[in-house]
Amino acid sequence: MVTLTVNGQVIQAAEGQSVLHAALAAGVYIPHLCDHPDLEAKGGCRLCSVTVDGGDVPVPACTTTVAEGMVVDSRTEAAELTRRTSMELMLATHPADCTGCPKYGKCELQSLYQYMGVNGQDWRMKSRPVPNNDSNPLISHLFTRCIRCGRCIRACQDLRGVKVLDYVRDGVGVHAGVPGGKSLVEAGCRFCGACIEVCPTGSIVDAVGVMEKHPAYADNVVPCRAECPAHTNIPEYIRAVREGRPGDAVAIMREKLTFPLTLGYICNHLCETGCKRTDVNDPLSIRNLKRFAVENDKEQAWKDKGFRKPRTGKRVAVVGSGPCGLTAAYYLNKLGHDVTVFEKRPQLGGPMTSGIPAYRLPIEGVNAEIQYIIDSGVKYEVNHEVSDAAALKKDYDAVLVAVGVSKGKKLGFLPGADFDQVYTAIDVLADLRANKDISYLGQTVCVIGGGSVGFDAARSLVRKGLTVNLACIEPADKILADKEDQVEGAEEGVNILPGRSFEEIEGSQKQVTGLRVHTVKSSTYDRATGKVTEVAVEGSQTVIPCDSVIFATGQYTGLQDFENFGIELNRMGYPIDPETGKSGFRTSVEGIFAAGDAITGISFVIKAIASGREVTSVIDKYLGGDGDIEETLVERTADPHIGEFPGFGTLPRIEMDVVDPATRVKNGDENVYKTYTCEQARCEAQRCLQCDLRLQLETVKLWNEYGGGE
Amino acid sequence: MEERLLDLPETCCPVDELLKYVRGHKCLDCGKCVFGYEGAAQLEMTLNDITMKKSRGSDMDQLRKLCGLMKTQALCEDGVELADTALAVMEKYADEFAQHVAKRSCKAGVCKRFVTYHILADKCVGCGDCMDACEDDAIQGRAKFIHVIDQDECTQCGKCKEACEEDAIVVAGAIKPRCPPRPIPCRR
Repeated sequence: MVTLTVNGQVIQAAEGQSVLHAALAAGVYIPHLCDHPDLEAKGGCRLCSVTVDGGDVPVPACTTTVAEGMVVDSRTEAAELTRRTSMELMLATHPADCTGCPKYGKCELQSLYQYMGVNGQDWRMKSRPVPNNDSNPLISHLFTRCIRCGRCIRACQDLRGVKVLDYVRDGVGVHAGVPGGKSLVEAGCRFCGACIEVCPTGSIVDAVGVMEKHPAYADNVVPCRAECPAHTNIPEYIRAVREGRPGDAVAIMREKLTFPLTLGYICNHLCETGCKRTDVNDPLSIRNLKRFAVENDKEQAWKDKGFRKPRTGKRVAVVGSGPCGLTAAYYLNKLGHDVTVFEKRPQLGGPMTSGIPAYRLPIEGVNAEIQYIIDSGVKYEVNHEVSDAAALKKDYDAVLVAVGVSKGKKLGFLPGADFDQVYTAIDVLADLRANKDISYLGQTVCVIGGGSVGFDAARSLVRKGLTVNLACIEPADKILADKEDQVEGAEEGVNILPGRSFEEIEGSQKQVTGLRVHTVKSSTYDRATGKVTEVAVEGSQTVIPCDSVIFATGQYTGLQDFENFGIELNRMGYPIDPETGKSGFRTSVEGIFAAGDAITGISFVIKAIASGREVTSVIDKYLGGDGDIEETLVERTADPHIGEFPGFGTLPRIEMDVVDPATRVKNGDENVYKTYTCEQARCEAQRCLQCDLRLQLETVKLWNEYGGGE
Repeated sequence: MEERLLDLPETCCPVDELLKYVRGHKCLDCGKCVFGYEGAAQLEMTLNDITMKKSRGSDMDQLRKLCGLMKTQALCEDGVELADTALAVMEKYADEFAQHVAKRSCKAGVCKRFVTYHILADKCVGCGDCMDACEDDAIQGRAKFIHVIDQDECTQCGKCKEACEEDAIVVAGAIKPRCPPRPIPCRR
């Protein structure tokens, strides 16, 4: 340690530290601008001018190393003159319209000149206008506001090693920029955003809209993580995949979710809709990288890491063993509570083992993920339907209702909906998963409903050799299921009939013969009332001949079908919290909680997992715990030096190889896609912009954030 | 240090020469330090104003102080050299700079704003070519009359001088030729 005096205050500093950083660390404020904590000091701006040991000539504190007994003063006349003149010179050529600047209020230059109380009016005033450049993805250049501090250039050249930004000279002067008038993509920009992060003024900023999607700054910087309902640390696990560490990748996933393999196959990947690379060319294929990592995690080194709290003696019953129920059970057990899961079906897993078809999700993988939860100490009872939560509560300290939406809805108004050969997709899918005989469907079926459940049923039945029609009221461009489902379903032979309205199921109680429909030009669905209004195409009435009809028109909890489930339900069968009148984690009975699809309606596995984690915290707090389930399963390293990569911006998204339609129909349960090879995974992972690196960069503290110094 | 600038022939204006020197200096192409780049930019703008008869009274003091700071605060030798040169030229030719700042004269007749155009009475033939060439309507006269330049209107563009086939139009520095105040009939 070194002891020195700064502005009359004795401070301690580390050997080799700069006077500026030593003073700032000790809370003694010295103005500074071109210095940045993550970048090498250059001493160009001279705002940190100080006199040392009574010398006449001020020196920059940022490039002066501390020495024992040194006496430093930033307030001497000579230091002040240098500092003020430098600021005046900068302001003389900087545009004065602060209020029109995107950095207004957050600008270091603005903060500094207000602190110093100077302006450039004693000098020749001249702006150096450079046209704003909004033509690049994600990053806007407004170099009229550049003060040539060089921070972006040092960040791009030295810290990141990308070497895209440099000083450029044009007709009006010198500013930071891309030499040769190239676009960022042409120049090999990696869109890491470090330049934006370190720019003290409004010269390099996030493109309009990029930072306006979430309330929190970090969420806008790393939107994939923010969009994931469980907030999985996506850039970190993609980095692990790229660096050939799939086990670390899985450990990172496991910190936030319980079913990574399942999600690697069937997640609706909201993360990808947030991916900033979408603005450059195409989003990362995040889900496929997840699948690759889990399938290549041989060591499973994450197992048995993480927290495990002492037993509390508290007992929790979880009703339902879908992704929400099992997730909550897993964490509640780790928090020390005794957990028993009740499942009405013969096997655990909810839709993962009884709904989602085998061709989308391999059963062995799901079972392994469930087994890990059981092995962690969660007890369970299958074939045990809970019909009264309040009665169950008598034996437990807390009850979680995570029953999902396991009952299929039929369109009751449709004549013939009560015929014998009219089924719901969820029941048919459960039978298929259980390898039950489905000859009751006949040879030709008609699925009503174009959501993912409808396509699951249709595509499964095609694989069983049935002739399958799928009709829905939405027009072709508004079908609810993923594009993948539609394209692949059609390839496999599903006869998709969009824009159809249903008139009647024809036939008799004992034998369905067809479904009468007509074509609609347009239709609107009123969510509040559930009413559909349509404009029919005249004379378009036809009958689709079929032996059975399968409704995939929504699901419900089924809780209202019980005589008395013991908690207050709304008319749709969802538990309600009487305090808010809406569905939430709390129910009308203290100690009985609800989560997952049972409070949100049908959703996705990742949402159910996130809901299970959230409700765990709520229940733990109710039982006297702190509700903290955060854990670190692997240490992280992230090299800020990402290096040069010509052509980075045009690297194409790599899709998984897909099995041809005839083969996949023939193979039945085999997955439609081939998991990435190591090479494919590495190529796809290296497309990541590594937006999270930007959050490693320190934010420069402004003068008003230093309490004691001056 | 640019020694040439300290030994200028009488036909060169030191303000103009220093301005040209600053304009060609590396510091204006660099931008890596405030005192080098913005200092050079202020030198350039201020010297330009001085040559354009738009100087402020405080300009010389300000430039001297600026160069003093540039000497110690520029990031590299280029900025120091620029400041040293400017200080030396301003000192050696202090009178010349003072004449410019006082908006009196450019002794060498180089700085356009300081020169005046005149039509010599013994050479003018009253042809009117200069009048036609003048875009500022600064020339009075009619056929066979000696033409006269209105100094308040003249912008020293030099077009009249180019147009005159009689070489009757001259540029004057501090010493002005005698000319009639208003058009009078030609003697020739």
